[in-house]
Formats: sequence, structure tokens, C-alpha cells
Amino acid sequence: MEAKPSTANLVDKIVVPGDVVLDLSSMTNQTIKLGGGLRQECDSVSVIKAGKLRFSKPNKYWVESSQKRYVPCVEDTVLGIVVDCKADNFFVDIRGPTIAFLPVLAFEGGTRRNIPKFEIGSLLYVRVVKANPGMNPELSCTDASGKAAEFGLLKDGYMFETSTGLSRMLLSSPTCPVLEELGKQLSFEIAVGLNGRVNAESPSTVVLVSNAIMNSESLSAVQQKIMVDKLLQRIK
Amino acid sequence: MEVDRADGRNPNQLRPLACSCSILHRAHGSASWSQGDTKVLAAVYGPKAGTKKNENPEKASIEVIWKPRTGQIGKPEKEYEIILKRTLQSICILTINPNTTTSVIIQVVHDDGALLPCAINAACAALVDAGIPMKHLAVAICCCSAESGYCILDPTKLEEQKMKGFAYLVFPNSILSVLPEGSSLVQGEPMEHGIITSVTHGAMSGNLSTLRVSVSHL
Repeated sequence: MEAKPSTANLVDKIVVPGDVVLDLSSMTNQTIKLGGGLRQECDSVSVIKAGKLRFSKPNKYWVESSQKRYVPCVEDTVLGIVVDCKADNFFVDIRGPTIAFLPVLAFEGGTRRNIPKFEIGSLLYVRVVKANPGMNPELSCTDASGKAAEFGLLKDGYMFETSTGLSRMLLSSPTCPVLEELGKQLSFEIAVGLNGRVNAESPSTVVLVSNAIMNSESLSAVQQKIMVDKLLQRIK
Repeated sequence: MEVDRADGRNPNQLRPLACSCSILHRAHGSASWSQGDTKVLAAVYGPKAGTKKNENPEKASIEVIWKPRTGQIGKPEKEYEIILKRTLQSICILTINPNTTTSVIIQVVHDDGALLPCAINAACAALVDAGIPMKHLAVAICCCSAESGYCILDPTKLEEQKMKGFAYLVFPNSILSVLPEGSSLVQGEPMEHGIITSVTHGAMSGNLSTLRVSVSHL
């Protein structure tokens, strides 16, 4: 077994479960925020999911990885599918370990008299309000101040599932290259959920838009532009 | 001690390893692992809500299904399932998603010796691909001893049949660490010297020290 360097800094390197990335005994009197993929064990912080270790100043560490399954976090906006309606909750599937609850009153101006009726299988754009381990997550169709803010039922469009890494790339700013290139030639609307679901709506080119997005996961910016150009030439 | 192996390897030399991840479209995590001609495909689905009746609902549970290449599922397959389940339960962090079940399905593509270690390696790679929280990775190896006392690693099927006894050993992986050397030792040895699982067949006597030396070369 080769000797490991004792002052290795693993930020921006690929880490696997078991790697120890921070030594807390040498960092006293600091507040450190740990994101997904990291766990504190007594005096050290170790990795539990494989991915790239990221650091953002002043004190945030997390492991960036892309999965097909979603881990619910508070304040995430996701796309959910209604699977059941009960007296005071809708049961919504958000691709996580458990089914999420959407209270029937969690809508703008929601009272017992105007409860919305969603059919089983309808697609909703919702926000995660509570996500505790061991409990079903709770959702809401309003933003933090109680306004509707575009949450709610998505009527038209084609929904497809991708990995969580691709949906984060689509939501990043500046705009991701594949969306920018498509936007120069076509007009379309997409709703991206952080759980890996994307709903694309377009008058006539929805399949092209969805294929371009699905192909762009592992391509660099230049490759994405070339791929979009090739797809757009086919419809000219 | 000089040993002639059929494919010209040293006693401590492993067969060429190959691993591919994310090969199945619908599974949440998948990996194919091959050591020489032995090839195993592992798929992970989950975590899904709910546990079986005799499982502890305060922890996540892991369910293993072993599918042999041909023939029906019998007692050897059930034994492999139990060994794999216990090994994976000790490397996954079970308290993060309580009351859920993660299914691991192992499909044997070709068996040319050291099948169970190959399956353990494939299952570990598939769990990493699916993003299931784990304490560390598991590294499995098969080590067998012949009557004349020498031991070899990673046997092929022909070599396995000639051996007096063999052992499958599973270790945690060597980790990268920012801690200074020596602070993460457990009882004076680095963590990767610990054994998670060991399965032994046949009779092996008097050569545990050679076994130890040969395995620590990995």
C-alpha cells in the first residue's frame, strides 16, 4: 500500500465512499456547512456518495454527483405525478424513496370550499417544504410568501425523465449551451424539476427539443452546439 | 515456491479486471464486472418505500436476488444471496433511509472461477452508481490453497477444482484521506486490513501467514 500524502486537498477531485476529506480537529472555531454526500464522524468528515468534491466560499462543502433517483431536500422545485387523493392530502410521486404528501390547502387562496381536483396521473410543479429522514416529504404549490408563482398543474407537454445532474445543468446560470442553441431557432417552454423530470412544451418540435436535452448530458459546451446544429438541420 | 499456473500468472497475480457502470437503462444503478472470463452483471433498484415483514423498519433493508446463468434457483443460489446481503448490509449506511428496501439483482453471465467475489465487486460498483450511501467500498478476492501448501489468488475454474480449500475474503478499500498518517488506525492497523466477510470451503491448515502475505500484496 503506498503512503498517502498527509496534506492532500481533495477539493475538485473525484472521491469515493470512505474517503476522509476534512479533519475537523484542525479547524476549530469555524462553522462549516456540509451538503449532500458528506457525513460527519466524530472529528472527521467522510464521503458517502461517489462524485466530485466541491467547495464554495466561505464554508460550504458538498459532493456533486448525478443519479437517477432523487433525494428530497427542502426548497427544491420538483415535478410530481399524482398517484392518489385522500381527504386532506394528495399523494405525489417525486422519484424519491417515499411518496410525498401535498396538503389540499397548500394553494394560493386555498380553503375547504375550493379544493382543486387533480386526476390520477396529472403532472404538478411543486416545491418541497419538509424533507426529514424517515418521514414522507411534504410539498406545497405556493412559494414561501403564499403566492402561486407558477406552481401547480402542467397541462400540455411531453414529460421525460433524466438524471439529477442533467436537471441541475439545465437550471444553471448562465444558460446551459443546449438550451441557448435551441432557443435561437425554436420557441419552446420547459419546466425542469430537480428530481430529474423535465416537461417540454412546443407547438411542433417537442420531440426534437427533448432528444437534444437527453443527448446533452455528457457533452461539453462545444459538442452540445454541434449536436444541436445537426438536429436542427434535419428539420430544415 | 514456484508454481505453474495454466495461464502463466504468478501466484499473487489477478486476472485482468474490467468494469462498466450505468449500462442498464431502467435500473437506478448497474455495473458489469469481469475478472478474466468470469463476468457478472449487477442491477440496483431503489430505495423503494416499505420493508418486508421480518425486517427492522427503523433501518433500510437490502434484498438480493441471484440469477444463475442456467438452471433453476436452488440452495447454492440462496446461500450466495445471504452472503451478499450480509456483506452489503455492513457497507451501506442503513440509518439514512429507514423503512425502505433496496433491491440488488445479480445475473451471472459467465462463471470461470471466483464467482462470488466477482459478484460482490459488481454489487458494490452498482450501489455506488445508484448513489446509495455507503461507509466505504468492498473489495473481494478468492484465495485458495493446494495440498502441497502453496496458495494462489483469483483461480480459474480448472484451478479451483484442483484445490484443497479456498476462501473468499472481502476487505474495505484503501481510502484517500486528509488526516495525518496513523490517526485512522484501528487497533494498530490501517482500516483496509480488516475483513468484512470471509467464506471458506475445504480444509486449509498451517498457511494462514502465507495467505496474509499474499493478500496484502493487493
